[in-house]
Amino acid sequence: MSLNTSILSTETLEYMRPATEVMRLARMGCGHPTRLSFLRVLLRRLASSDWKIDRPVWNVDANGVGHGVYRVKSAERTYSLVAFAHDLPPEMRSDRVIATAWDATFTLFDGEPTAEDIARLADNVPYQEAGRISTKELTLARANRSVRLFEHVVNALAQGCQPDPAEIAAVGYLMRTTAVYGSGKFGASDRADIAQRPELAAPFQVEMLTVWLIRAFTVDIVEHIATARGGKTAVKLDRDIRRSLGVGNSTGLGMAPFIVRHPVLLNNWMMAREEALARVRAQPTARSQAVSDLSAALDAAITNARVWHSEHPIQVCKLDELRHDLALLSTTLNTWDWKGEHPWDALWSWGVQTLTFEGQEALLSLMLEPHGALVDDLADHMGADEAASFRIDGAMPVAELRRILETHYAWALAIDFTSPENVARFWYVSEEKLEPRLGERATEDGATLEQPLCIARLMSELHAAVQSFDGTRSVAALMLAHPEHRFAVRRVQIAKRHPYAEVQDNLIAADMLPIDLLRCKLAFFGASQFDPRSDRWVRINLFAGAPFPDDIKAGGAV
Amino acid sequence: MSFEPQDQTRGDSTPFFGDTEPAPLSCNEAASLCMKAARGAGMSWGMAEEAGFAAAWLVSHGIDGPSHMRAHLERADGRDWADLCPSATPGDWQNAHGQPACPIILGATMCDYADLPEGPNSGATVALGPVSAPILLVPFLVELAHSKSLAFTLSWPEGAIRIDNDETWLQAALQSLGVPQLVLTLSAKAAQPHKPSAASMPNAQTTAATIAALNAFAMRTTVPATEASRTGAGSTLSDND
Repeated sequence: MSLNTSILSTETLEYMRPATEVMRLARMGCGHPTRLSFLRVLLRRLASSDWKIDRPVWNVDANGVGHGVYRVKSAERTYSLVAFAHDLPPEMRSDRVIATAWDATFTLFDGEPTAEDIARLADNVPYQEAGRISTKELTLARANRSVRLFEHVVNALAQGCQPDPAEIAAVGYLMRTTAVYGSGKFGASDRADIAQRPELAAPFQVEMLTVWLIRAFTVDIVEHIATARGGKTAVKLDRDIRRSLGVGNSTGLGMAPFIVRHPVLLNNWMMAREEALARVRAQPTARSQAVSDLSAALDAAITNARVWHSEHPIQVCKLDELRHDLALLSTTLNTWDWKGEHPWDALWSWGVQTLTFEGQEALLSLMLEPHGALVDDLADHMGADEAASFRIDGAMPVAELRRILETHYAWALAIDFTSPENVARFWYVSEEKLEPRLGERATEDGATLEQPLCIARLMSELHAAVQSFDGTRSVAALMLAHPEHRFAVRRVQIAKRHPYAEVQDNLIAADMLPIDLLRCKLAFFGASQFDPRSDRWVRINLFAGAPFPDDIKAGGAV
Repeated sequence: MSFEPQDQTRGDSTPFFGDTEPAPLSCNEAASLCMKAARGAGMSWGMAEEAGFAAAWLVSHGIDGPSHMRAHLERADGRDWADLCPSATPGDWQNAHGQPACPIILGATMCDYADLPEGPNSGATVALGPVSAPILLVPFLVELAHSKSLAFTLSWPEGAIRIDNDETWLQAALQSLGVPQLVLTLSAKAAQPHKPSAASMPNAQTTAATIAALNAFAMRTTVPATEASRTGAGSTLSDND
């Protein structure tokens, strides 16, 4: 799966967008969720296979404090979300990773927890980073209430009324997660130990399952507190309102380095998405069902863009562009010639010539939407066996390494690193909180402890080294003479076989926006309604509009 | 260091263990902690990744790799590359200065030379000289054995072990190689292609003392906080909405 060019076919090759176009931050920062996003992959599996979902335990008092268990069970496996509900004073509520208490805490248990397991988890999960979980657990997560909407909904339901749709639309979720840890963090099961299970092969499936079950919990806890408060007067949340709710998520700088640290994984995500677009464009004709499905998807996107709020100036501008572009697309589709040659490719070409990056990337998502049968198999290629590309090919001649460097990193070698604005920032890890941060090189100390996220500059330095090294000698010899370039050499050899492995921009430039890295990753998760809170902090919504456990089988196509 | 030992507000998965309780780490945690520690002790980032690989491999094979890594880093701390690296010449890989080789650098370099004449090819016997924490060499030799279909014999003045396809030799290797230093000779022979074994064993546990020592190395890669760095880290808006 590492050499992912195996998913490509010659018929689609001419329709693939080159990495020089796709892997630019300005475009990655306009990413939209698609049907290949990881939460969609999860929902399709849950809807189509024999998974049974229920809530065997609900031990919550009138103040909304206690625990519940949500169970997802197939013939082979059971996964259980253990949810702990807390009573959190407002002054302790913070979305930062460095908070110490939350409204609710969660773990996804691998199997069905015993009473002893629950007792052990109750001693650890509420403390998050200061607790410890085991290889029986797959994730660790926590969430805080949206104070405004949570209270509004509880009050309304307790009084026998439904909440105000305007309030619902303004926030979009009852709780937002502030961290969902997997992959062996805090003693949890390692990814390598579960990645071979079919239902977990796609990236971030345990994390997505955790968040989807948290979404069910957020509604259950609201209805529970409303009933405790209102007694017989209280009502359940209207099913259409419920469906519109997602789970919020707050994500900061700490997640930005992820896609830089996992080049093979990033390549495989991008490659799958780009191959999907190419397959759609390569179709010689358009099916009428696909055309009407596109129209429905566009209507949903227009609605989504209408309720999507942000106060951040950059996002306000992007939202204007998106709304304008979607309206233009809607008008254009009214008279689009679907009988012409390669009509999907023609539509794409129209979009590239007409729309902003926001509009183009939204169009990509819309064009994939009617084509599940054509593209959904690509989700099976989005995981990565990173160990398979870890070893350095020491027998490669240095001249060949140089050729790859000059071909795949021409964008990096073109940057002038003697210019202050091109080295304005440095990535580092804070001693105090051990979280990744971005410093200003001219005014802050610590640049000598820079993290290796300045890929373009590392490549520029490697290039200088190989220029003065005998090209007929081996990379192994280069590594003995220049161990400081081992990190960069590994990436160059990865890039040779993984064209979409690198973000082709300078990650330490003065004008670099970390939220672009965040949005790219979060769009692959399936997030919608990106709301930057600064240039390095973003709120999103996950699973809004998706089915709940009790209606996923009847919920129609996902 | 400016943090409290039980400060849960640190955004990292550094576990909090008491002195005597067992300290189970996931492979991901072992790799991450050892990579940062190796970097803190002076390895390049790319070589520190190799240290993370080796420690996690040992943990997944029931051996406390982080404790061996700690012992090695404490000896190698502050030493120059020239005093740690092998010289890659056919038959002789001893450090040119006669110093004990770093097992991570030696192992990674042997993998680099896997397909080159200087490398550990079938029929070759290579003098490795003194090697620090030789158990840390094992993950690299196993990778080489698998990728090149080789069986290795690792010998020292008092004994030898054979590293081949089935991993029954691992516990014996731990007994012999889990020492501070050995003077080693490696010989390679062709072997049957490797068949992956389905059996998995529980991860090795490490100790609170090891984690603390590795953390001390890892903290050297971090930057003290300033007011500017604190204020730039989060949202500029309230979360109570």
